[in-house]
Amino acid sequence: MTALPLLTRVLRQPPSMAQLGAPEWELLLRQAVATDMGATLALLAEEHGLLQALPAQVRRRLDWERTGWRRHGQAVRFELRQVQHALRTSGLPLILLKGTAYVAAGLPAAAGRLFSDVDILVPKNRLNEVEGLLMAHGWASSHHDAYDQRYYREWMHELPPMQHMRRGTAIDVHHAILPETARVRPDPALLRAGARALPGQPGLFVLAPCDMVLHSAVHLFSEGEYDHGLRDLFDLHRLLCHFGANEPGFWTALPLRARELELTRPLFYALRYCMRVLGTPVPAATVAAAAAGRPNPVLLALMDSLFLRALRPVHPSCAGTLTALSDLMLFIRGNWLRMPPLMLSRHLFQKAFLTPRNVKLDQV
Amino acid sequence: MLTVAALSESALSARLRGPGLRLRTGPFISCIRSSVPALAVALARMYGDYPVLDDDIPADFDVLLRRPRGLRRLVKPQVFFHYDGMEPFQPLPLAQLYPMFEWAMNWCVSSHAHSWLVIHAAVVEKEGAAVILPAPPGSGKSTLCAALVARGWRLLSDELTLVRLDDGRIDPVPRPVSLKNASIDVIRAWAPQAHLSPPVADTMKGTVAHMRPPQASVARADEPASPAWIVFPQWRAGACAELVSVPQARAHLRLAENAFNYSLLGAAGFTTAARLVEATRTFDFSYGALDDAMAVFEGLLAQRR
Amino acid sequence: MTSPPIWRLAPGQRLQYRCWDGECVLYNDLSGDTHLLDEFALALLEQLKAGPQAAAQLAAAFELDAQDEDAALQTVLDDLAALFLIEALPC
Repeated sequence: MTALPLLTRVLRQPPSMAQLGAPEWELLLRQAVATDMGATLALLAEEHGLLQALPAQVRRRLDWERTGWRRHGQAVRFELRQVQHALRTSGLPLILLKGTAYVAAGLPAAAGRLFSDVDILVPKNRLNEVEGLLMAHGWASSHHDAYDQRYYREWMHELPPMQHMRRGTAIDVHHAILPETARVRPDPALLRAGARALPGQPGLFVLAPCDMVLHSAVHLFSEGEYDHGLRDLFDLHRLLCHFGANEPGFWTALPLRARELELTRPLFYALRYCMRVLGTPVPAATVAAAAAGRPNPVLLALMDSLFLRALRPVHPSCAGTLTALSDLMLFIRGNWLRMPPLMLSRHLFQKAFLTPRNVKLDQV
Repeated sequence: MLTVAALSESALSARLRGPGLRLRTGPFISCIRSSVPALAVALARMYGDYPVLDDDIPADFDVLLRRPRGLRRLVKPQVFFHYDGMEPFQPLPLAQLYPMFEWAMNWCVSSHAHSWLVIHAAVVEKEGAAVILPAPPGSGKSTLCAALVARGWRLLSDELTLVRLDDGRIDPVPRPVSLKNASIDVIRAWAPQAHLSPPVADTMKGTVAHMRPPQASVARADEPASPAWIVFPQWRAGACAELVSVPQARAHLRLAENAFNYSLLGAAGFTTAARLVEATRTFDFSYGALDDAMAVFEGLLAQRR
Repeated sequence: MTSPPIWRLAPGQRLQYRCWDGECVLYNDLSGDTHLLDEFALALLEQLKAGPQAAAQLAAAFELDAQDEDAALQTVLDDLAALFLIEALPC
């Protein structure tokens, strides 16, 4: 229990890959694939110049992962062109979020990162117009159930996911980064105002570095599902490392911006678990400034045990007996942050019994 | 070299129940685990000639076939295929364990082996020339493949044609040839010496059996082949055996349609398919009787000599 | 009153293709699709590789002067644009 899983150790120290024997490689690959980080591993090995030193069989396996990722990147870039084309008459800056933003901005966090939806941020008062333009260009709304439509439009921070009828690709149109019903309401106008243009890509924008980190933290520490906990934590780690090294004043600005956006709690968790699990080099001053988001000791101890478990690779080799229980508690906690308790139980009830099962889109 | 046949029954079972049986099929190493006794029986019967490895090389694929736990196992016997903590297939009745194993092994390759253009096609070789037989189900591809193999053609694969991205040669991944429904009896009559697994009824493909590949094909699993022909077969009762040329651009597109990872490979998929079309003669092939079909294929060889 | 569009190869298209007996397969670098095109369409794409041109210039390059030939050219240009192989430059 005290030893970190192999994948986690490798993410902390990628050069350690060069010392692994065949049985360890097998385990590492299994954990990575189960956590959707196979391509990440491949790109890390390449980045650290380790590929030639690895056994040929391993190198070949990693190459397979890299191939899928390259095709994914091509599909994302093509999809972005289509979205831009569809929305060009709106005059809106196209603000990209999450994985889409990492790819468009060429960030290290994009390396090996696969995802199924394109995510964009638009002002709430332009939502209908954006939806109309997308529909005119071949996207259709999913979630036709009247309850789900209401769930999204009244309570959530995004339209129901839209799917392109011919290409089958999906787009999530957000107007905020947390739902209407959440306890904290980071002002989307502040996020949009801070958005940065991408050089050489007119019309495309991404969130400012602090906001990108905070959005990632919010996404991880208030989402309902933790299937991709370690992967999302690694995103955060890479964002922090990249901006820490390349964005002047980043470490000072980060806790200040968190306060401005009412996101001190997610920032506290983000820094805490990045440092503990992945060894992210966060300056002491930033840690101190982020302490404003610290919960009371009892809650913190509970969160520690839940998160440290949830942030393990999703593989049978890493599953302890408490894992199923902690995952469930985190699911409830996640939704509680997004919807007040009374509404939550009604919502879960409806979702479980009235809504037909949905199928997740394939990634590639 | 240690083969499956050299393992005692208990040694084979111990590996399957414990650390896994590590089997090499062509370029791939699979770690196979199952505590269901029927799998040990099937592997002993069908994979006797195959090399068994130790754990000093990492396996490519991790195949676990297991039964559900608890009371469910008594009520409706089922088997699940697990891969790295995922379940790619719906569970199947326990009686279909061995066909499920073969389908799982195919899935592993077709979903991951992106060093090759993986075409859903049979491929056999004779006199240094390989013929690729792509076809959707119902075309008679597997019957034709089994028949050719029984008449001395080397089996490279009955389902997965691996075309190298770098030089266009074909790497073998020889495994038992799957047969269904009427073709089981056809092949039994055609090749009485062939070893067929006990037919399993009521699968999603009908009644299914597998033909053990010749030991010579398994022994030459490391030997690539150069493609000479692409033949799209279509069996029709009473049809004459006839080859009709397929225009190359059309052949390219039909190859792409029949390949698992053509789109995923991007430009490399395109150039590999184009190179393959340029290196081969491409035909549609209709036939009604296996004897006629054999003559046509021998005719192709003769033209080459 | 708009001027006729200037056509160009979609940025990023390298034109990877093979032609056999009047039919061509082409790999679309942007969408990842593979298209079946005839030799005329390919020749049009190759012509645009030299630089952006209006339909009239393209017609001249291929010595098309009849009305129906112009209409056919327009159809092909529209089809190629729908496949994201070419695009009309913003005026």
